[in-house]
Amino acid sequence: MTSITRSTARRKPLKQRLTLTVLLVPFVLFFAAFFVLPIGYAIVDSLFTVRSSGLGFGAPEKVFVFFENYARALATPSFVESIGRVLLFAVIEVPLMVVFSLVLALLLESGKAHFPRVFRVIYFMPYGVPGVIASLLWGFLYVPSTSPVLQILSNFGLDFTPLGGDSVLFAIANIALWGFAGYNMLIIVASLKSVPGELYEAARIDGAGEFAIIRHIKLPLLRPTVVLVTVFTIIGTLQLFVEPLVLKPLTTAINSDFTPNLAAYNQAFAQSNPNLAAAMAVIVALIAFVFSFGFLKLVNRKGNRAW
Amino acid sequence: MSQPPATRRRVFAAAALTLAVIAPLAACAPGGEASDGPVELTFQTWVPNIDKAVDAFNEEHDDIHVTVEAIAAGPDGGYAKMLSAVAAGNPADVAHVGYDELATFLLNDALTDITEYAADDADKFTDWQWKTGVFNDKVYGIPQASGPVGQFYRKDVLDSLGLSAPATWDEYYEAAKVIHASDPNKYIAAFAANQAPWLMALAQQAGQPWFEAGDDSWSVAIDNPDTLRMAEFWQKLLDEDLVKVEADMSNEWYTDIKSGNVASWMSGSWAAAIISGNAPETSGLWAAAEMPQWVAGEHVSASWGGGASNVVLKGSKHPKEATEFALWMNGTPASASTLTSIGAGWPALEDKSEITALTDDPETFEFFGGQNIWDTFAVADDNVDRSWQWPPLVDTLYATLTDNVKAAVENKTPLTGAFEKTQDDMVKAMEDKGIAVAE
Repeated sequence: MTSITRSTARRKPLKQRLTLTVLLVPFVLFFAAFFVLPIGYAIVDSLFTVRSSGLGFGAPEKVFVFFENYARALATPSFVESIGRVLLFAVIEVPLMVVFSLVLALLLESGKAHFPRVFRVIYFMPYGVPGVIASLLWGFLYVPSTSPVLQILSNFGLDFTPLGGDSVLFAIANIALWGFAGYNMLIIVASLKSVPGELYEAARIDGAGEFAIIRHIKLPLLRPTVVLVTVFTIIGTLQLFVEPLVLKPLTTAINSDFTPNLAAYNQAFAQSNPNLAAAMAVIVALIAFVFSFGFLKLVNRKGNRAW
Repeated sequence: MSQPPATRRRVFAAAALTLAVIAPLAACAPGGEASDGPVELTFQTWVPNIDKAVDAFNEEHDDIHVTVEAIAAGPDGGYAKMLSAVAAGNPADVAHVGYDELATFLLNDALTDITEYAADDADKFTDWQWKTGVFNDKVYGIPQASGPVGQFYRKDVLDSLGLSAPATWDEYYEAAKVIHASDPNKYIAAFAANQAPWLMALAQQAGQPWFEAGDDSWSVAIDNPDTLRMAEFWQKLLDEDLVKVEADMSNEWYTDIKSGNVASWMSGSWAAAIISGNAPETSGLWAAAEMPQWVAGEHVSASWGGGASNVVLKGSKHPKEATEFALWMNGTPASASTLTSIGAGWPALEDKSEITALTDDPETFEFFGGQNIWDTFAVADDNVDRSWQWPPLVDTLYATLTDNVKAAVENKTPLTGAFEKTQDDMVKAMEDKGIAVAE
């Protein structure tokens, strides 16, 4: 008897474990094959280099060089400049993005907006446009000889060159903002929708105005969402790639090492140096990691919250 | 005792699932060798309509069948695709590779030595074009066509100002002034800081070559006096706002050549097809001339990125058949004529008498106002500087050159400095790669 009860007692968790395994295997397999493995491959690759000799007409050999690629990446002025450039870009882009999408969401959900659903869709629509297409479209608008907007402004004596050296980062920030603000807004709207209505009611009974409700109810409850949006935006800006790649032929202000990702791409696909590219990619990943977790740590300090 | 079977079953289930997931992936791998039937070859190229020449080959050959795989143009990702496929051990058999890129492919160990199959056909081809595919006395490429550079210009614009095509660089400067003075939106040409082959053609024509392979090391002279003189000339045009800083073959540039705001383009012979294809409404308004000369009366020319050859990629299982195909396509008059007619470039075939596309090309001649522009390019091709060599790491050269020239234009620093910096960057890149550079 005891042996039977024991085995029936065991069978159930076993079955569950089997189900779990079956359900997990596809994910784990693909996760390993398309995420863990490539990262591991990139890290291994970054420790090697391909060397030739003489005139370079013979077959090259692959040699283990330890951290030499990292040293070389960090000793390349244009790569270091590109890191500085995306950090500057993040300083411009992250606050703009967070504030803009937050304001959009609060306006749409204020209860006073006309056709909030229609506008929610309209604001979200640019996100459906692939980054390359969006950059091409904006590229047309940024170049004086193809841009109707700039041509009209020029008739009034206002000559803008959005892709000039001083303004090109803002031009790119504008494309990113146009593409992603609606998406981030939607995340915030979803979060706002889950705030129970009684809270507003109670606040109003206590005499709170709209701004007081935003300040004391909505913003505190939105905090985790805004933190999430900020982290996404930080990661996104540090990985800036598509917009400068597409705009590059249109301006002298974007070089082939404009952002770290572009530099890595240039090494891998134009200059056939995948090893240096791998080292650059790992550096970008580390920087994104440090900044996103640094930010999370900053806002999650116990008892010392920013807001 | 009930546990072991359960574990086994679990392992089995996981294994079955793994197989189920992996099996379709494995099915994507190339199939085995067909024992009968013709040898199947793939040919990677970005030349539009080249299937005309390939179809003709397939019709004539029962033992070889070639399939065209259209890919992005080399610098836009085509080369990366080829090199990745070679590295993965799964390359196409024949590929379209520019003369400028051959040394770089060799550096990446991506080319098959085809000397034994091709050496006997060397005489069929123009000597200098054949030699672009020969390294250390081994043949690595079959030349297809070159891109001798000339000026394509809007005859209507120049005529209306009483100008003819500038024959010297001094005349070019004077013409640039007249054109820009007539209308502040009009320029003689675009300064294409994005376009390394254009900048290098200007340097090649100026005189001293940039690279020379010695016995065991390269000498590099990007900042040579001839190149710097050329840079100073364009500096003058830039400073006086006589050329428009604009990427060539960009949307705005196409708009400008249609409107005549950019009145000329210095480019390879194949550019005729690009202009007529993208600005059909300007038919009859164009003409072609040789490059302006540094010394009046000379005919010095240059080539745009050299030209293009067909190579057998390393890892191809049929180097013999692949070479046969490349030799047939580029070395028979009928096929070379087809290639010329689709805009592949100036044929590498030595005996051009049977290339009908060069003499009987009414559509092109009509676009150029009745001018037989191929006569002009025949002179240009004869006068391309033969001593110009393409270095390994040519992509690094292109990237650093355009970055440095762009930066000079953007920051208004001397153009000569851009070439000096490119010299330093390129020597460093070559040395980093282990290539010997003579001091």
